Amino acid sequence: MSNEHTVKSYEEELQHLTDSLIQMGSLTETQLNDSMDAVIKVDKESIDKIIQSDEKINKFRSKIDTQIMTLLVKRAPMAIDLRETISALKISQDLERIGDLSKSNAKKVKPLPLDLPEELLSNLKRLGDLVTKQLNDVLDSYVNKNYDKAKEVWKKDEQVDDLTFIAMNSVIDFLSKDKKNLDFSTHLIFVTKNLERAGDHITNIAEIICYLIKGEYLKGHRPKGKETEV
Amino acid sequence: MKHVKIKSKNLNVFYGEKQALFDVNLDLNEKEVTALIGPSGCGKSTFIRCINRMNDVIDICKISGTIEMDGVDINNKNLDVVSLRERVGMVFQKPNPFPKSIYDNISYGPKIHGKGETKSELDAIVENSLKKAALWEEVKDRLDEPGTSLSGGQQQRLCIARAISVNPEVILMDEPCSALDPIATAKIEELIDELKETYTIVIVTHSMAQAVRVSQKTGFFHLGKLIEVGKTEKIFKNPDNKMTQDYITGRFG
Repeated sequence: MSNEHTVKSYEEELQHLTDSLIQMGSLTETQLNDSMDAVIKVDKESIDKIIQSDEKINKFRSKIDTQIMTLLVKRAPMAIDLRETISALKISQDLERIGDLSKSNAKKVKPLPLDLPEELLSNLKRLGDLVTKQLNDVLDSYVNKNYDKAKEVWKKDEQVDDLTFIAMNSVIDFLSKDKKNLDFSTHLIFVTKNLERAGDHITNIAEIICYLIKGEYLKGHRPKGKETEV
Repeated sequence: MKHVKIKSKNLNVFYGEKQALFDVNLDLNEKEVTALIGPSGCGKSTFIRCINRMNDVIDICKISGTIEMDGVDINNKNLDVVSLRERVGMVFQKPNPFPKSIYDNISYGPKIHGKGETKSELDAIVENSLKKAALWEEVKDRLDEPGTSLSGGQQQRLCIARAISVNPEVILMDEPCSALDPIATAKIEELIDELKETYTIVIVTHSMAQAVRVSQKTGFFHLGKLIEVGKTEKIFKNPDNKMTQDYITGRFG
């Protein structure tokens, strides 16, 4: 949108909302990254820090809620402004959930042994890296209002499903090798599933961004990977 | 598909040298509310004044193109303008009741159009019109009082009742709520919702929120041109034209 609002404070309020969402996105990205690092390195020291930083994400969510309520009441936004406002509301919900899932993964590091098999860790890392990349890309597409990039993220969730399938299989292999692995394997199943869920939230965000930009919902079915067959 | 009640084709309007409308092509569907929006002087009032030929009284006004009502050109020389105005009623920005009683305000139109020959027929028209305008309960015991003694909102509903009394097919409303408080506005909007079951309504409004609330179709005018017309929801959620978007989001001028 090249033209600015006649009312400058309206322009500023919309800009502040976008800024808040970008900051929240960046915190969520760090949170996801840190929690994956903690899992892969079985780094129990960082757990508390990750749990605490989830609070910051939740606070952003409340702040964004307030900003949106104010915008709706004061400005009764229309067309692109309405889509911008409603999209921010929805995206902030998905980001908050991604933050929760990352926190949940960090908590699961505690009972893990330090000698997890290399292959299992590398499969989890591949999945974690992809989900982190997806989040990064989707936030980029929001900042630059890049429809094609958002749609690309949406399509790529198929790969998240595939890697989830692979990671899940290596957890099950590990579990079936020795009964004493059962306890922490269950945690690893949750970690894997949480990453796949985070991927789904990222896909939601991609859909919202596409709607925000074009005012139309994405048509057709999203390609599904193997995970959904499990 | 809804029946097109009014169809303007390549409508151009000139006030002397100044052109007020440029090639306006707009269909108004029967029993639907069409909202016309746009900045002051964009031609929306000029457009609705063409529908009941109010521009006839302005000497320097010249019109080209056509406006059809049910397929008949309303500027046709054989068409009687009085009977046209019987079919196309109008409500203005400022409530303008006649300086007469509430009863006479309503009965005046039917009388001159030869409707309601007996007192009881007229009584029935007055009651029915006031009921349709959701004013009956408030005024039924004071029909002899002057129309001007009513509140602004009541006066506007009286004007709507007056428009309805001759049983029109189309009602034109030129910013009917701009002089009213929110409660009176809500009552008029509720009324518009009910009236659209019977009449084709065109409303000119400066309130976007009102256009969204009351209309099914919206047309955006700018500098005498119809820039975009479409379903109201589409216009306010995702208009096709950038000028429309700039106007409704407050990025204009």
